[in-house]
Amino acid sequence: MNAFPLLSTLIFLPLLGALATVLLSRSPALCRAAALGTALAELLLAACAIPLAADPGTILAENAAWIPSFGIRYALAMDGLSGLLVLMTAFLGVLAVLTSFKEITKRPGAYYAFLLAVETSACGVFLAKDLFLFYLFWEVQLVPMFFLIGVWGHEDRRKAALKFFLFSIAGGMLMLLAVIGAWLAQPEGARTFSLAALMAAPAAPHVQNWLFAAFFLAFAVKMPIVPVHTWLPDAHTQAPTAGSVILAGVLLKTGAYGLIRLAFPLFPDAAALSVPLLFVLGLAGLYHASLCALAQTDAKRLVAYSSVAHMALIVIGVAAWNAVSLSGAMLQMINHALTTGGLFIMIGMLSRRSGSRELASFGGVWKRSPVLGAFFLFFCMASAGLPGLNNFVSELLTLVGTWTGHPGVAAAAFAGAVLTLTYVLKLAQGTLFGTPAATQPEQWPDAEPLELCVLSPLAASILYLGFAPQAVLDMLRGPVSDFLPRIPQLFQ
Amino acid sequence: MQANLSLLLALPLFGALVLALLGRRLSRPMVERLACAAIIAAFIAALTALAGAWGETRLVPLFPWFSAGGFSASMDVLYDPLSGIMAVMVTFVSAIIHIHSVGYMRGDESYARYFCYLNLFVFFMLVITLADNLAFLFLGWEGVGFCSYALIGFWFADAERTLAGRKAFVMTRIGDVGFLIAMALFFATLGTLSLSGIIASVSALSVGTATALGLLLLWAAVGKSAQLPLLVWLPDAMAGPTPVSALIHAATMVTAGVYLLMRLFPVLALSQAALAAVGAVGAVTALFASFSALGQRDIKRILAWSTISQVGYMFLGIAAGDLCGGMFHLLAHAFFKSLLFMGAGCVIQALHEEHDIFRMGSRVRTAMPPVFLLFFLGALALAAVPPASGYFSKGRILYATLSHGGGLFTLYWAMGSLAAILTALYTFRLVFVAFFGDPAFPPKTWDIEPLPRFMIHVLWPLGALALLAGGLNLPGNFSGAEWLSHALRTVPGADAEFHGVSELAVSLADAGFCAVGLFLAWMLYGPRTAPGRRGPADPERFAHRMLRSGFGLDALYRKTVLTPFLALSGFMRRVVDEGAVDAAFMSQGVLWARTSMAARRLATGRTSTYLLTFLLGLAAICAVLLAKGA
Repeated sequence: MNAFPLLSTLIFLPLLGALATVLLSRSPALCRAAALGTALAELLLAACAIPLAADPGTILAENAAWIPSFGIRYALAMDGLSGLLVLMTAFLGVLAVLTSFKEITKRPGAYYAFLLAVETSACGVFLAKDLFLFYLFWEVQLVPMFFLIGVWGHEDRRKAALKFFLFSIAGGMLMLLAVIGAWLAQPEGARTFSLAALMAAPAAPHVQNWLFAAFFLAFAVKMPIVPVHTWLPDAHTQAPTAGSVILAGVLLKTGAYGLIRLAFPLFPDAAALSVPLLFVLGLAGLYHASLCALAQTDAKRLVAYSSVAHMALIVIGVAAWNAVSLSGAMLQMINHALTTGGLFIMIGMLSRRSGSRELASFGGVWKRSPVLGAFFLFFCMASAGLPGLNNFVSELLTLVGTWTGHPGVAAAAFAGAVLTLTYVLKLAQGTLFGTPAATQPEQWPDAEPLELCVLSPLAASILYLGFAPQAVLDMLRGPVSDFLPRIPQLFQ
Repeated sequence: MQANLSLLLALPLFGALVLALLGRRLSRPMVERLACAAIIAAFIAALTALAGAWGETRLVPLFPWFSAGGFSASMDVLYDPLSGIMAVMVTFVSAIIHIHSVGYMRGDESYARYFCYLNLFVFFMLVITLADNLAFLFLGWEGVGFCSYALIGFWFADAERTLAGRKAFVMTRIGDVGFLIAMALFFATLGTLSLSGIIASVSALSVGTATALGLLLLWAAVGKSAQLPLLVWLPDAMAGPTPVSALIHAATMVTAGVYLLMRLFPVLALSQAALAAVGAVGAVTALFASFSALGQRDIKRILAWSTISQVGYMFLGIAAGDLCGGMFHLLAHAFFKSLLFMGAGCVIQALHEEHDIFRMGSRVRTAMPPVFLLFFLGALALAAVPPASGYFSKGRILYATLSHGGGLFTLYWAMGSLAAILTALYTFRLVFVAFFGDPAFPPKTWDIEPLPRFMIHVLWPLGALALLAGGLNLPGNFSGAEWLSHALRTVPGADAEFHGVSELAVSLADAGFCAVGLFLAWMLYGPRTAPGRRGPADPERFAHRMLRSGFGLDALYRKTVLTPFLALSGFMRRVVDEGAVDAAFMSQGVLWARTSMAARRLATGRTSTYLLTFLLGLAAICAVLLAKGA
């Protein structure tokens, strides 16, 4: 146990900042300052935690009794995977605050409070080591996101927010039943919500099947996995830019994280049985979402579908369950956040200029703003998996790893690389090239200093993870070797 | 050595980075000098590396890239005579093209972007050349694909051009799937992606695996090198600036596929089936493309089809087990084809963007004698007129193919020889029509714009090499030393000897084929032929339509692949995603809403209703309990 409650601070610091922004809501400038200050402090704190999380010698954990009568504890821990995801959350949090400066004028106090509250809930999900605590943070995520979309979204925001809420709550309710089920499945007197204890003594196989199904459904909705993905395009399209960034970069990751951290290790027998289903869903999702992305005319919707396709690779990598594929899948969680986040931010910047998200309203962006154009092409290429940029590393690892056990699945997924390129190039073609659409306004400034502050660190991190991902992979080695043997059926 | 190789790779990358970040702030001469200096310095580094490690094979680690769970990709350099010579060629041709580009792009606003991409391209090409690890090689492989995409669509305001770039990128990506799967298969079978590691343990591969790997690598090579069936992107790639066509779509990138097959030849060599497939692709493509070249009127498209055809010969050389011949032709082709493209670029620019050879004529020759002479030298080499370089390099491949023996390779030889006749024919059709006689159609303008002299004169080294590069590997019966064969003998798989047929006889036959082609060209398109008969064939005639459209392959793909694919995409979006999946969930929502409306009717507020339902419920519970008890 460490003297300073670093993990709790990481979780609750943004909530404190949220409180501050609410109190300061009279002055928009102060709100922004408070939000940015909190987000930066959180990033600094997360960066400080990373060396500790990376070092296998130190155990970064907190554990306190909470509701003893049900065996519920306030237990947190940070390993390499949690640490990276928290860092990523904090990083995107800063970018999300920065992108909102120009975009959000309505009730900034409440807005930044909700934005920071998402950070709290996501960090809680990534750090919880108690199933009940995990569930709590999991469900809490919904609330701030619901308001971010429903209040600060675009024209069809209410419907999109409701759809998001209903899909998520349906998944969450089943998970609650399964959480209770997992608790009841233990022998009386020794019942606990401790993840470590639950993993050490998995339930009987036929019970596992039901519990796994419920957990999986909740995570599948969040990731999302086709066919329970249809809330996502609407939510993304309607959300404000920062909302999309947080949604794609952070919230979706909680689903993938849950799959890896909870669903598989808690219910190993059921997980082993589900592998063929996961492959089918992963491949179907990859192809379905890629084809749908290609048919979109709304730039943001196109990126939303591309996001579903990229997440499908994580499903495949997890199902293959070996060291290479799992490292790739975990790394893909981070890479996807950066590339998709970058694309959403850029579309936000461009549509603020053109007044529309339709591809037809862009065109000739490079001519009008070459710096923005170059950044956009850069993010597009990262999304297309160009080697030297981040996504390539994780996708190659995921699929090469998958190949060793399941060559057919991997080959089909490799072929999906062509589809990825087609929709990415459609996006680039529609926005950057050709002649500017007639509807574009006279005023079309190139990248402003604030925008460069957002784009440059994103691009730098994409390049860094493309050329020197080893530090991150080293951090993931511990979690990978910890998870793998938990499912002996899949791991030889 | 490590410093030298790091410099070789770092210089072009550095140039590209500086231009990308600061290009818009630097003055134009500064940008041009920086870009050219980076490549010239890289050329010097490549030369000193070659001199310093002559004949040796070295594995030089640069830095580790990533590894996880037994999979490892590192940025290491495999430096042997093959990569050393290739690196010298790439940097040499690139340096000339950079200098030429300074002249060619003199009127273009986006020079910084242009030179940035050009430097970046050289970097990626050198990565392909030098990489030891297949994942690192793939970095260059995809990188050149990206640069090609960006440069074909360089004039992006014209949507046609960017679409041509997109087509090139997607078609080559289709090939890249083969590369990716091959990487996975190498990792699964040999546990390594290092070229040197693969070649050291190649005997552990079964024939079946080797065949699969060979075919996958062939598929990758076919995409990058624009061979059948993935060749349709290259003719359209001519939308880019002409020096780009010279660099990327003639001299270097399109030979990357050939180079990959040469690097992994020991794997191919395990499988006769794979080699036969490589040969079939090469021979059929060489013939197919030389027919198509005959039907073109655009000077760049003629050259594009001829590139496809010549790269086919290189594939054929590899299939015959003649790495050295393949490399010989690769080098000679790099010199004469980049020369031809840049010569064509001079013509096009001087004639105010005129591409149609039937609107050129003798005025071009009289106005620009040096350009004509340079172009003529390149044409001699392309048509394989002895003693130009192409004669020896192509001859070597045909000789190797024939002496390989077997009915299949004899057939390949016959196809290659027929293609050689056609090559001489279309090359001199181009020379005669574009530089002699009166134009068949009136030009849009008779004015000829003077060009900066340096952009012409910088081509002379290439002209000399087009003529003399045969000396690199002059065969024994021409009392040559076979320098290249000697230099490459330590490269795995490059030590093949050929016997069985007389090399002299094959050489004489080649000269004969060339003469037949030249004679046909003279008769059909020569300066003495009546102007009316020299004109292009009737565009409506079936045969001409077939040749001009590359046997309609592009249209076929559009009809059978692209259109259904786009239709499927629309179907998935509208019918499956929105119409079925989403609608199912949304209608569930409606169902719940309706159910709750129905249930609301029960909440009438009347005590009698509540009592009734209470009694009903009680009765039901009792019934269940009774049933259980019984």
